Amino acid sequence: MSMKAGGNRGKPGGGNAAGAAASGAGGSGGGRPNLGRGRHSGKGPAAVIFNGVYANMRMVHVLTSVVGTKCELKVKNGAVYEGVFKTYGPECDLVLDAAHRKSPEPSLGPRKEDIVDSIIFKASDVVVVTFKDVDLNFARKVSSDTDNFTDASVSGRINGEHKEKDLEPWDGGDTHNSDSLESLDTDVSNGWDPNDMFKYNEEKYGVLSTYDSSLSTYTVPLERDDSEEFQKREARAAQLAEEIEASATYKARVALENDERSEEEKYTAVVRGERETHMLSRENKYIPPGQRNREAMSWGAGRQNSPRLGQSSAGASASRPGPHDYSPNSGPDQRVVNGGPPRMSPKSQRTPRAHRVPPSRISSVSTGVDLGSHNPPGEVSAAPPTRSSSSGGTWSSVVSGAHRPRSPRQNNMGRASPGSSSLSSPQTGTAPVETVATLTLASSPAAAASPAPNMVASPSGDAKECRVQETRQSSPSANNDNMKPLDNSPSITRPLCKGPPSMAPDHRKQIDNLKQFSVDFRLQPSSNPDPAFDQMMTKPVRDPSDKPKDLALDKASAVGRDGPEQGAAGLAAGSSGAVPASSSSATATSKPGSPAAPSPSPSAPDQKRGGQDVISQGVQTTATMGGPKHEEKEEKKEAVQDQVRKSTLNPNANEFKPRFNAQPKPANTPTPPRPQGQPSPSIVVQQPPAVYGCFPQMYPLTPVSPGVQKSIIWKSPAVYQVQMPHMAVSQSKPYRTGKVPNMPQQRSDQHHPPGTPTMMHPATAAGPPIVAQNPVYSAQYFTCSPQQFTSQPLVQQMPHYQSQAQHMFSPVMQSSARMMGPPTHGQPGLVSSSTTQYPEQTHTMYVSQGPMPQQYPHPNATLHPHPQHPQPSATPTGQSHQGGPPQHGGPQSHPAASPVQHPQHQQAAAAAAAAAAQALHLSNAPPQQQLYSALAPTPPSMTPNPQSPQASFPSAQQTVYIHPQQVQHGYNPSHMAHVQQVGRCLNVCERPGIRTSNLSAF
Amino acid sequence: MAAPGPGEYFSVGSHVSCLTCLGQQLQGEVVAFDYQSKMLTLKCASSSGKPNLNDVILINLAYVSDVDIIHDRTETPPPLASLNVSKLANRARTEKEDKLSQAYAISAGVSVEGQQLFQTIHKTIKDCKWQEKNIIVMDDVVISPPYQVDNCRGKEGSALSHVRKIVEKHFRDVESQKSMQRSQAQQTQKDSTLSS
Repeated sequence: MSMKAGGNRGKPGGGNAAGAAASGAGGSGGGRPNLGRGRHSGKGPAAVIFNGVYANMRMVHVLTSVVGTKCELKVKNGAVYEGVFKTYGPECDLVLDAAHRKSPEPSLGPRKEDIVDSIIFKASDVVVVTFKDVDLNFARKVSSDTDNFTDASVSGRINGEHKEKDLEPWDGGDTHNSDSLESLDTDVSNGWDPNDMFKYNEEKYGVLSTYDSSLSTYTVPLERDDSEEFQKREARAAQLAEEIEASATYKARVALENDERSEEEKYTAVVRGERETHMLSRENKYIPPGQRNREAMSWGAGRQNSPRLGQSSAGASASRPGPHDYSPNSGPDQRVVNGGPPRMSPKSQRTPRAHRVPPSRISSVSTGVDLGSHNPPGEVSAAPPTRSSSSGGTWSSVVSGAHRPRSPRQNNMGRASPGSSSLSSPQTGTAPVETVATLTLASSPAAAASPAPNMVASPSGDAKECRVQETRQSSPSANNDNMKPLDNSPSITRPLCKGPPSMAPDHRKQIDNLKQFSVDFRLQPSSNPDPAFDQMMTKPVRDPSDKPKDLALDKASAVGRDGPEQGAAGLAAGSSGAVPASSSSATATSKPGSPAAPSPSPSAPDQKRGGQDVISQGVQTTATMGGPKHEEKEEKKEAVQDQVRKSTLNPNANEFKPRFNAQPKPANTPTPPRPQGQPSPSIVVQQPPAVYGCFPQMYPLTPVSPGVQKSIIWKSPAVYQVQMPHMAVSQSKPYRTGKVPNMPQQRSDQHHPPGTPTMMHPATAAGPPIVAQNPVYSAQYFTCSPQQFTSQPLVQQMPHYQSQAQHMFSPVMQSSARMMGPPTHGQPGLVSSSTTQYPEQTHTMYVSQGPMPQQYPHPNATLHPHPQHPQPSATPTGQSHQGGPPQHGGPQSHPAASPVQHPQHQQAAAAAAAAAAQALHLSNAPPQQQLYSALAPTPPSMTPNPQSPQASFPSAQQTVYIHPQQVQHGYNPSHMAHVQQVGRCLNVCERPGIRTSNLSAF
Repeated sequence: MAAPGPGEYFSVGSHVSCLTCLGQQLQGEVVAFDYQSKMLTLKCASSSGKPNLNDVILINLAYVSDVDIIHDRTETPPPLASLNVSKLANRARTEKEDKLSQAYAISAGVSVEGQQLFQTIHKTIKDCKWQEKNIIVMDDVVISPPYQVDNCRGKEGSALSHVRKIVEKHFRDVESQKSMQRSQAQQTQKDSTLSS
């Protein structure tokens, strides 16, 4: 994968750099235009096209360099024309100004009447053109690196006679040596007194100075009088002077001027005492507001504590403030209750905060490092800071958003997202189910259980923890270790996460974020309600439908859509029996995979498959979702369902798709072809649905990447479903539950790399948190992607994402909206996009979740890939990641294990995924296998997985390999990391198809 | 005739020699080659021997035979520097104006010496023009044939003295160039007109 990724990366980059290197066709374009413009103001248009000679950069450069020089042009018949070279055309037609036909005899010059103002010579008539005595550097712009004042450049530009000046030795004589020179050392006076100079000049040269001390030449003396007016003005002047001198700015500037402190003291020195105390105090101050509300919620504490968290916390706080938050908080509260320990940990964290402060710093540092490592070099630099801030915000926001959204927006939506997050702790009823499901899925129930509490508690500290974990994750085994540590000593990890250092800056950011979030949240809810809600509803419906399908197995995705209510009911039922649902979902998913293909989805078979997959995922999610939903608001669910039905029935697929398409299309258009191509070609038969699903997912995710759009339509539903799956995934991840919280945090911290690990963790850690995690991931991804993709039209993506996110995710991912807000804080556009993308990714992940193991890996992989592939390739990477997920993370994790950023992410994710996958496999190996087999076109890998959990890893690896391709494809497509993610989801479902699609696309 | 170089491509930096259909032997370093138009650009040492200048030859390979690559260069050519287009445009404009101005003078029957002197003065003082056969500098000094120092007339002052210096130096340089074909130091003021 890395290889491919690298290649892809190279391509994009090469596009720019290589373009220049290339014959000049592509790269030269940049230079050409200038040249063309320069050449002919009139030929601007021609230059723009860059055809013919204009495409030859070097030819353009040379010919342009000789513009304005005299030349002799020989034509076929032997005639020689002389003129001033004016310009040239794309066909290498040459234009000579003031040209005349040179007569054989060397006459002095052309007569006026011999000269033609301008002659155009066709290239086919020209034999030789000679430019004599041309200074090729005449028009050369001095670049910054070649300074104009080297000896060579100076001597080269000497005009006129230039003789090397003879240097003469200076002989000051004895007197000077004894007097002047020594006096220089001893003379304290500051040079000559002006009067001495005047006197000396007068004596020595007879020059009389015209100096007038009154400066009458320059100014007019003030005429003082006793008039009333003058006194008034004088008083006025004095008053003004007083005012000015009394002003803070004046004082500040004067103080600055008179500041005796050294630069070191002022700017460089690290003054710990005060700052730390401040930090602490700030933390305390900050914490109270956010935490007070959510103290019960671990989130608040964590957020406040950790710098990134701070951002995130800002989001969290924002969420907290929101009414919804509280309701969702209830979830958190429950979590707290459930995770009594977690709360304790938060508290402990608070106390530890002082301690944490240093750790947090460390963590932040480490995160920064991780980010750096994760992110590509270039990206890293930008990404880390922004990511850290934005990501933190996004994460927190996401998390909070997830919770909030659930409560406020739609129970369904909230349920879905919350499902993962809330499930863990908040909603006991749902949570248990979800957790159970996750546990079952995860195969390591205990771990999941523990994680869940941790997750709950962690949220606040999670970010920090996550960061820590992320850092840990950075190390291959870190994830597991982290998980353990987190679980074992959440408080400790949290403290670390809470690092005060970041706190201070974070606090500000947090505050800003909170404000933004508050605004955003409000906005989102309002905006979302209609479209978003509808979408959400539709999404939920879809999910439900999917779930129902899973439940019904045979029910087509269409059916699921049509009967969202049923699905909801099923979900509800599932939620009631979350565990069974999850397990069933897994099986169902696997089943659906096969049935899906045949299933009568309204859309193409592919869609159906996707739908099935989605369904499976949805089922899982629904299970999780259902739990929360049921618990929280069955009524709401019903309403939502109704809405969903309406929305789904009417616009569901269409509307959603359109939206997605529309949004993504702009940016994604490039990529779409690939996705389409992929799905259509190979995918169609085997895993077309999956692919579609992936693509749709991708689209949502890819909103960042335009290409995905097409697929998006398909995927949009899938995405929704996927999200649901994510939930499930997160649940499955619960194994890492403890990690889950960390995951988000880590994500924020590490962003990409951490993201993957975090993803894993989150997923494992707590299904419930997953929702939050998803957002987080999305945020991370986004951040990563934005950073990485900075080159890409992040902004565009942003809007798309936002819109998409809102539509798509608003329900599911209120967090995304929130994320949007946070992003604005950190990197508005990017963040938003990232958030949305993340959600999408998460969706994809979810999709993959259908096969829990796969999903896990996928999410991680996708997440990682995104970060890795950050920019253009982000989507592709995402795909690759997705591919990874299909692999079940094991492979991804393995590849990802590599330090490379992508690798890191992948690795981390892979590691986490692998761990999760293993657990999953162990627990759910059969289902996964089934799923794989069903979903994944590539039986080999699939089969292996089924055979043994361990085998699953290999299979995962295999899939991973495939994924690389996918990733590459993804990269190629247009950096449709998100799309790729979708693809991943698809991959999960239909790895083979994806692979093929990727291949075909590429 | 049509004899595209070996490999259909000339690597930048390699040295190539070729014979045109008009019997002109050309040799130089490849600066650029456009396959579509078969245009090859060579860079040669300045025919006037000036170290900082080059002769650039644009060859249409459609009318060339015996293309030989004297030695190839594999290393990647240096990056291209961005060009100051406005500077180029100004040069094209001034060159054109100069040529037209010179043509105008020639049409007026000005002697070669007068034309050369005009070019020399024009290098230093842009504000000079022909008025019939007289050179008008700064609307203040009039130089009439035969354009010797003594022919400079005008209001006594720095302008007149300055122009006289230029004229004096010009003819001194011309003399020295005649005696020493390649006294590079003096070429600057001698103008390209003499050398060309």
